Amino acid sequence: MRAVCWHGKQDVRVDTVPDPEIVQKGDVIVKVALTCICGSDLHLYNGYVPTMKKGDILGHEFVGEIVAACPGVTHFRVGDRVIVPFPISCGACWYCKHELWSLCDNTNPNSWMMEHIYGDTGGGIFGYSHLYGGYAGGQAEYVRVPFADVGLEKIPDGIPYEQVVLLTDIMPTGYQAAVYCNINPGDTVAVWGCGPVGLLAMKSAKLLGAERVIGIDRFPDRLQMAHSQCQAEVLNYEEVDVAEQLQNMTGGRGPDSCIDAVGLEARGTGIEDVYDLVKQTLRLETDRASALRQLVRACRKGGTLSISGVYSGFIDKFPMGAIFAKGLTVRGGQAHVHKYLPHLVKLVAEQQIDPSSIITHRMSLEDAPAGYRTFLKKQDSCIKIALTPEHAAPKTEPASP
Amino acid sequence: METSATEQSRAYRGQSRQKRVNVGPGERKASMAGGAALALSGLWSIGRRNYLSGLAMIASGGMLLYRGQTGHCGMYEAMGVDTVHTQGSGLRIEKVVTIGLPPHQVYEFWRHLDNLPRFMKHLESVQVTGERTSHWKAVGPGGLSTEWDAEMMEDTPGQQISWHSVGSADIPNKGTVEFKEAPGNRGTEVRVSIDYYPPGGTAGRAAMKIAHGLNAQQLEEDLKRLKQILEVGEETTARRTA
Ligand SMILES: [Zn+2]
Ligand SMILES: [Zn+2]
Repeated sequence: MRAVCWHGKQDVRVDTVPDPEIVQKGDVIVKVALTCICGSDLHLYNGYVPTMKKGDILGHEFVGEIVAACPGVTHFRVGDRVIVPFPISCGACWYCKHELWSLCDNTNPNSWMMEHIYGDTGGGIFGYSHLYGGYAGGQAEYVRVPFADVGLEKIPDGIPYEQVVLLTDIMPTGYQAAVYCNINPGDTVAVWGCGPVGLLAMKSAKLLGAERVIGIDRFPDRLQMAHSQCQAEVLNYEEVDVAEQLQNMTGGRGPDSCIDAVGLEARGTGIEDVYDLVKQTLRLETDRASALRQLVRACRKGGTLSISGVYSGFIDKFPMGAIFAKGLTVRGGQAHVHKYLPHLVKLVAEQQIDPSSIITHRMSLEDAPAGYRTFLKKQDSCIKIALTPEHAAPKTEPASP
Repeated sequence: METSATEQSRAYRGQSRQKRVNVGPGERKASMAGGAALALSGLWSIGRRNYLSGLAMIASGGMLLYRGQTGHCGMYEAMGVDTVHTQGSGLRIEKVVTIGLPPHQVYEFWRHLDNLPRFMKHLESVQVTGERTSHWKAVGPGGLSTEWDAEMMEDTPGQQISWHSVGSADIPNKGTVEFKEAPGNRGTEVRVSIDYYPPGGTAGRAAMKIAHGLNAQQLEEDLKRLKQILEVGEETTARRTA
């Protein structure tokens, strides 16, 4: 089959590799109909996540059709169209039983790496380095999906793949970021980053009852999208002092909740940005924390910081004093996708939300290398790229499998 | 370094240049195992661009391998150490894991000793030879194998099993595994502690210590696999093809 493989820093290629097979009793093979490039794939692309090996298949956002299933799989059969959550969860450990799906104890065969770095491990993730288990990803024609009975969600008849492909990661990620804000009537939620997750977090915050959402970014076309799609007020952090502006917009209180939808490659401005960039380049600090520092400063007393951007390393000059003095709550982590899927599928079916509205680019899997370049440089107003493997390029979506 | 060793080294330097065997047989095996593992993890480090530490590991790993193969250690000779006839004291590794099953179920699985190689990757087999006795075969890094007999000293169903090696084990060892109910319906806390006795006094102990970190890591991964087998039903894998 054909698959998008990592070959080194800013070097991905479409290679011919062996087809995946059923290996364990919970396995199915999914024929990929649609897959996306995620902002966090750019961290792999740029070499910020260690333990990538030449030839690793990328991609953790994919939907498709089951073409083979181990007899041990009981809830699904060949022909089912399915959404595949990016975290791999066993369903049997304490964390899975408590709906902390992405923290699964048993699905990262390389758990010792993360235990040495972070003190404990999360679950495995498709196509996201050997640190996260070394599973092959979904930017390919076929994928082996373990624990199918635990993870998969059926796509209701009549809903095209495009409307649900973002339910594999960034829609639940944005939704969880908003859920973590414990939104009350009258609340203002500020979102750093108007990329895919940021936009979906703003939509989710509105859905969950936020009175106002404020989008913060430096790209005018992204800010425009936040304004038109999410009815957000917008701030360009290269033009204004964000913390001060947010205070002015909220009666001097600050936003009730602040969502970080940028993560480890966030750009700041001025001397702070240079400081982080130098330290990051020297590997003294692995994450750039400009956005995170702004969140802490801007948030109202007793408010919540909700971290959905990916951080992987260390941050220094973190304003711990402000977190303490202002009594802030900090929540974050990989999305527990399984927990939100049934509800989000229902919202899509009822047309209350259409995540596909943020897909700006559609291309063939074969064009993935160009896609990565476009997405990295944010060229051509690129927000989200969906890739179609050749075999699955139907003119119209089937109404039912 | 002990003073007596330094004094001895002067005496040795005066002796013939012929290489003599100054590394005991048990330690030779331990050296080879530790050396191979160290060299392997050195390669692994280099793959991860930690060139300096990787090279250092390969160098010391190679040194241990050489010593194991020849029974001669240049560094020992320089230090005036002879470990052929001396016996060292024990090193302990201890690891704990919580498994989401009641203690008696985890105990039952462990008590069937032939289950152990399913999650202890370096064990080739454990053969039950009597009511309290068993025969163990292990393969270390580099394909080096070693065998020993073990005897169970304590067996309290659902709570604890302890054993020690008997006869002429290359690396004499004893161990205990405790099964304790975890609070809040979290299952069982499984605590394993293993003491092993590298032959060869202080220097043997030093060589063994290098391999020790790797063994502790190995035990941790073994317990992770035990948890997967008991909770999930099999060891989880990211393999793509059968
Ligand atoms: Zn993603
Ligand atoms: Zn689990």
